[in-house]
Amino acid sequence: MALEVRELSKRFAGLVAVAAVSFTVRPGEILGVIGPNGSGKTTLLSMMAGLLPPTSGSVIWKGREIQALRPDIIAGLGVVKSFQNPQLFAELSVFDNVRVASHLALKRALGLRRGLELLGAARAVEKQLARRVSEVLALCNLDGAAGQLAGNLSYGEEKMLGIAMALMCEPELLLLDEPASGLGRDEIRNLEEVLVKLHAAGTTLCLVDHKIGFLRGLAHRVIALNHGEKIAEGAPESVLNDPAVVEAYLGTGHAHA
Amino acid sequence: MIAQALLWGVLYALPLFVRSDFLLTIFIFTFIYGILAVTFDLIFGFTGQLSMFHPAVFGVSAYMTYLLASQYKLPFWVATVPSALTAVVLAVVVGSICFKFRLKTFYFAVVTLAFAEMIRLVVMNWNSLTNGTLGLVVSGKPTIYWPGSGVVAVRGPIAWYYLTLACLSVTVLICARCLRAWMGRCFGAIRLNEDLARTLGINVFRYKLLAFAIGNALASFAGGLYGYYTGYIDPGYLGINQSMEILAMVLLGGQGTLLGPIVGSFVLTGLPHAIDLRAEIRAILYGAILIFTILAMPRGIVGTLGAWKARRGP
Repeated sequence: MALEVRELSKRFAGLVAVAAVSFTVRPGEILGVIGPNGSGKTTLLSMMAGLLPPTSGSVIWKGREIQALRPDIIAGLGVVKSFQNPQLFAELSVFDNVRVASHLALKRALGLRRGLELLGAARAVEKQLARRVSEVLALCNLDGAAGQLAGNLSYGEEKMLGIAMALMCEPELLLLDEPASGLGRDEIRNLEEVLVKLHAAGTTLCLVDHKIGFLRGLAHRVIALNHGEKIAEGAPESVLNDPAVVEAYLGTGHAHA
Repeated sequence: MIAQALLWGVLYALPLFVRSDFLLTIFIFTFIYGILAVTFDLIFGFTGQLSMFHPAVFGVSAYMTYLLASQYKLPFWVATVPSALTAVVLAVVVGSICFKFRLKTFYFAVVTLAFAEMIRLVVMNWNSLTNGTLGLVVSGKPTIYWPGSGVVAVRGPIAWYYLTLACLSVTVLICARCLRAWMGRCFGAIRLNEDLARTLGINVFRYKLLAFAIGNALASFAGGLYGYYTGYIDPGYLGINQSMEILAMVLLGGQGTLLGPIVGSFVLTGLPHAIDLRAEIRAILYGAILIFTILAMPRGIVGTLGAWKARRGP
């Protein structure tokens, strides 16, 4: 069991965004989380990454409760989240964006010895990380844009860069918040390829999306949320045909399948 | 890169050609304020935290260095060490409080200013130690080891010129080293997008505190030097106007660069000497320069030149 969400709830003033949701993410799988807009998907993911403190419930990663930990510590433990609206360092180049994200890798490689790096020692590790940045950029089809300012990228490239930065953190579990939203058809295909490669390399993925079509081809299992509650869980086809899920989508007029 | 090396070369060679005590004095003040401005820029321009704490560290270290040196008969350099450590302790205490409560921008500025004012009032009212508003007259000179002549006191404009230039060079080198390594990347990430930095595994609290502590520790040397150079220390060292002056230097020269604060320091320390003006007029001129810079050159002199060079191509 990689990550377990137990009775997780989030209340904003009077609004219940997530209501006692429980599920597990198994090692090596691709788990999809679907639900109409406002069903609590992003809130759920933010709580799993430590960006939002839950009102109640717990998140257990490798036997340890992580819901009260700081996001940088959770990222260090191997759970990394990418944002729905890409968060970037707009004034830095694409390469430098991913270079910043190599912080955890450097920390793992050197520990406190990174103090020596200030004196110019440990150059080899830095060089190796710079190579790794290039590899990640190539994987995400961003190698051509490495020298560009991140602020000048197209929306699709920005989203890929967000994923590249998350990748550079060497996640064991990658949480992706609507990675396909706002992307064109080619970009979605590109994204799918990247995610398949990532999964093949051993990364566990948890994908949130309201575009059911995108998840249908990728996810091994799917969880459906509506009004903050889990309404279905299982194989993609069975969840997508679940009457409660169909009702949630068609009933609120947000069907994109 | 070449331009920078050339500039440092010119600075080191300058006393060979310039014999004017007046000009050398302007450079000595430029270098001492340059240390303050560069270290302030490490916290403000590079890490994005608008600190108003620099005058506190500047003043406390000026008093401490002199008092330790005179009362315990310590050499100047030995006395700067406890002063720097005190600066680190002050920075860690004040920084921890501010960063724990996630104070940003204006709020961080106001709280650091409040701490600086608190320390100024303590210094001003601790008459037995600091002689209050009357201040202290500094006797004695820093000494250095000079091959051939042994330990000699630093006397005269040329000796002071090289001493302060060397201190500024070391400060810039240390800052440059930190900024080029992973630490600089963390500082930049915090300045540009703190929330993103956090999700990428950067301990935002730790790196803000690190920038604040390094900046203040290095700034403490400026205090010791300034007290000994001018021969007089009073609570005015810790005044809010010092913060404004340092900020003006960094904005004018170019925030987020190491050279900019030194250029700004040169312009703003040189200007009042070059044109003899009454204090009120000088303040108005300062304000006008600052407003002009923010409106016309938000990246300062060095930043604007850099952008201009980049546009023209290599």
